[in-house]
Amino acid sequence: MAIKTKGCKELVAQVIETGLCTLCGACTGSCPYLAFHKGRIALLDNCSRTEESQCYDYCPRTYTDLNVISQEIFGTPYTTSEIGEVKDVVMARATDQIAIKHTQYGGAVTALLSLALAERTIDSAVVTKTLDDKSPSPFLAHTIDDIVQCAGSSYMACPVLGKYNQIHKDSNDRLAIVGTPCQVLSIAKMKAKLPENRINIANVKLVIGLFCTWALSPDKFHEFLKENCDLPKVRKLDIPPPPANRFDVYTSDGMTSFPLEQIRKFTMPACSFCLDMTSEFADLSVGSVEGTEGWNTIIVRTDAGADLLDRANKKGKLEVRKLPKSNLEHLKEAALLKKKRALKQIVEKSGSSDNLLYLGLSPELIETLLA
Amino acid sequence: MANIEIDAPGTSQLFIGNEAIARGALEAGIGFAAAYPGTPSSEILGSLAQVAKKMGIYAEWSINEMVAMEAAAGASYAGIRALAPMKQNGVNVVSDFLSNLVMTGIGKAGLVLVSCDDPSAISSSNEQDTRPVAKWLDIPLVEPGDFQEAKDMTKWLFELAEELGTICMLRSVTRIAHARGNVKLGELPTKKHKARFEQTHDLKNVMPTTLIPVPSPFRHFLLHMKLNKARDKFESSPFNKYAGPEKPELLIITSGSCWLYSQDAIDALKMRDKVGILKLGTLWPLPEKFVIEHLNKSNKVLFVEEIDPFIERAIMELAGNLPSDAVRPAFYGKRSGHINAFGELNPDLVIKAVSSILGIEYQARDVDYSNKVESIVKSNVPERTMTFCAGCPHRATFWSIKNALKLDGRDGFVTGDIGCYSMAIGPAGFFQVRTMHCMGGGAGVANGLGKLGQFGFDQPVIAVVGDSTFYHATIPALINGIYNRSKFILVILDNNATAMTGFQPHPGTGMTAMGEPTEVVSMEGLCRALGAQVKVCDPFDLKASTDTLLKMMADDGGAKVVIMRRSCELVRAKKEKTPYKVRVDANKCIGESCGCDRLCTRIFLCPGLVWDKKTGKSKIDEVVCSGCGVCADVCPQGAIVREAACLISS
Repeated sequence: MAIKTKGCKELVAQVIETGLCTLCGACTGSCPYLAFHKGRIALLDNCSRTEESQCYDYCPRTYTDLNVISQEIFGTPYTTSEIGEVKDVVMARATDQIAIKHTQYGGAVTALLSLALAERTIDSAVVTKTLDDKSPSPFLAHTIDDIVQCAGSSYMACPVLGKYNQIHKDSNDRLAIVGTPCQVLSIAKMKAKLPENRINIANVKLVIGLFCTWALSPDKFHEFLKENCDLPKVRKLDIPPPPANRFDVYTSDGMTSFPLEQIRKFTMPACSFCLDMTSEFADLSVGSVEGTEGWNTIIVRTDAGADLLDRANKKGKLEVRKLPKSNLEHLKEAALLKKKRALKQIVEKSGSSDNLLYLGLSPELIETLLA
Repeated sequence: MANIEIDAPGTSQLFIGNEAIARGALEAGIGFAAAYPGTPSSEILGSLAQVAKKMGIYAEWSINEMVAMEAAAGASYAGIRALAPMKQNGVNVVSDFLSNLVMTGIGKAGLVLVSCDDPSAISSSNEQDTRPVAKWLDIPLVEPGDFQEAKDMTKWLFELAEELGTICMLRSVTRIAHARGNVKLGELPTKKHKARFEQTHDLKNVMPTTLIPVPSPFRHFLLHMKLNKARDKFESSPFNKYAGPEKPELLIITSGSCWLYSQDAIDALKMRDKVGILKLGTLWPLPEKFVIEHLNKSNKVLFVEEIDPFIERAIMELAGNLPSDAVRPAFYGKRSGHINAFGELNPDLVIKAVSSILGIEYQARDVDYSNKVESIVKSNVPERTMTFCAGCPHRATFWSIKNALKLDGRDGFVTGDIGCYSMAIGPAGFFQVRTMHCMGGGAGVANGLGKLGQFGFDQPVIAVVGDSTFYHATIPALINGIYNRSKFILVILDNNATAMTGFQPHPGTGMTAMGEPTEVVSMEGLCRALGAQVKVCDPFDLKASTDTLLKMMADDGGAKVVIMRRSCELVRAKKEKTPYKVRVDANKCIGESCGCDRLCTRIFLCPGLVWDKKTGKSKIDEVVCSGCGVCADVCPQGAIVREAACLISS
């Protein structure tokens, strides 16, 4: 992979100032110069390093050759499939109905992490916790209780990887990470080129990727929520599947709906340049099931992911069914649409199909997607 | 400090210029002295305060120069001789009062202003010559050329002030104020002071009056009469003198420390027989007859003075008024470019000017020799930049300010003023301070910036002031900001000391100049009473300080106050033991690697931390480290360890 390594100045100039930053948090946590605050990454001082700078290397929005990454994770070149490398696609839901009440859709992520913790295949999990003021915050969960507390989505970008980077480099904890596609890609980049002075990436035993069409700005959208809802009463946020076109806010008093268009203006502009809807480099990718409430779609991508799902099924933690063919087709359609739309956006931004900003794709794939 | 109160007339004592001035005031029988500290003037009031009780006089560190000058005038009105010494900036502060005081005249007792200028701004934010103030405001002005004159002139000025009924001014410079020389002592008066405000007046003191007010133009006329009288007295003053041949090839006209530079220059050139030196001690009004008499001695005249062409212009004006058939010499000086109109002078610069005018080849020092000396000297001196002391709370404060401004992300900035914290314009304070003017200036500038929202301005503005500066010159600016709802944060760097000038007490310290305990004027109490939102932070708690600033920046509303409170390290170290034993765990220090890149020795830059090139790790300089432990919170790898110092010692 012909990456010319650069430092934080280039990161700021090429990613942050150009509006490509997804707030994944990969550049924060282990670096004293870069920090997340209120919806942006701030450069506190100039780092003088111009080579071997991990902020630049692991950013999902610096040059990334997907073939190299895929080779590292799956042992094969990057697939032309709409939803990435797939071993199996199923639908599932947690059997613990009490836990489900707090979760998004079927509670599969909560059930899987709880099982992994209970079985001690992991010691802790890097997840997102919605704070009392409803802002998302990176969190290191150590217990099943912690995991249950972190259930549910805030739909806002959260620099989860900063929490991972903060874990002491000598820690022996085995970890799970739950992240969005950009965060999963960053972890994959770490696996392809091992980090220094950080916790060993081999400690990460499980990567659960979330389906993601876009994330909301944690700054601007939170302001909107604050202005329109009684924050302490908010219990859950939800975007019901199309054609609902709604953003639902559940509070202790009931439900308030906003037209999705009104919410869409708070999406992170950087998300429009993302081709990945299904977290293609995760062990397991989890999302909703269109048209079926209370269930999750799970894409199984690796042996580690398959093992965990299998155990969850056998131990009765997850109820697993085959995903109806029409749902799979629909998922692929949506994923392809995101790829095409994003690639178009990238070409528009760069001004040329020869310059895909951060993306390293085979010419054939570029041609297919731009067609 | 020397014993300025020693009662040994006729003996010689080694005094710095400031002590000589204080001694002159004692010999003049002052009863009152008030000042605000400012280098190079501080030792005048400092030495008077030390002996005040013993000598039965009153000395105070006032809240600012204005109040000091006004208080001294009050004493004069009640018949007590009074002295108000200050640095050049102080003269600016008092100029409004002075411009009125000259119109009214002083009381029955003499009143003397001492202005200590700082050519080259060695300890100042600005370079300024205050002599033009004397001309501008019609104040009789003298300038001592050595330490003896510093004492003698001061004593004499009180008599002159009383005779004229107007304030008189003595101008000194750093090299007189802080250099040391022999001073032959005079008698100390034994008369007891008796203060009483007289309701009646005589003509020379237009105020106080029980008659109808005298119109200003008439008072101005009377002031000019006083100046004429001063000129007459100056014509025969022994402080003006000529030394040299009857018909010199070149006449140097000089004053103050430049008199000494001129003598050294002529000696070095071995031209005592060719160059004459006219030294003026009474500068304004100019003793015109005396000057014209000497002006005829040569057809070449060189003016050597610091900093402005004050004498040069006055004498050129005078020459312009000579009869049309008079012979006029060629004038050399600042106008001709032979002498700089900025910075301190020295004998070398005078030699250069004289050599150029007289066409002499003179090499003060062989160039090779100079270079050799320079390289040897440099090789023995470690490179240092201006920085805060190890353990200084200001470094921690500016660390939090920097991080808060960066995290906030709206390109906020700091307006500042004069004090140790001025160093924050450079690496010591991470280049945070963007404007620096006079005392309290940053708060005033912030007032304007904070009202620009209607023009699209949304950058956060933080004004920093020291604790002493807060009392001195910031309170009106804060009231203005609160009342007019200007959006800025006033950060008071409360280190419980007027640190930069030598730890003089101020209203936050609970001590007076004469060592009497007094009630502290609470700055948070004052700010809250004004209606400001006030937070008090410990600057060593980096996280809480940063969070407080971030929160205040995010809040709407007008002026807010953060008090960063922690004693100056130099004050703390005198009272307490080292809090922590700090060390670097070499196993954890990752040096220049990704994830640190020498944050502590490249950015934080506490002089207690040193970079060991050989090992590629940071380490603690145990001699310099004060054990504050702040760097342990700065280190991203947790490699800097602080342990309670008492555990180590036991």
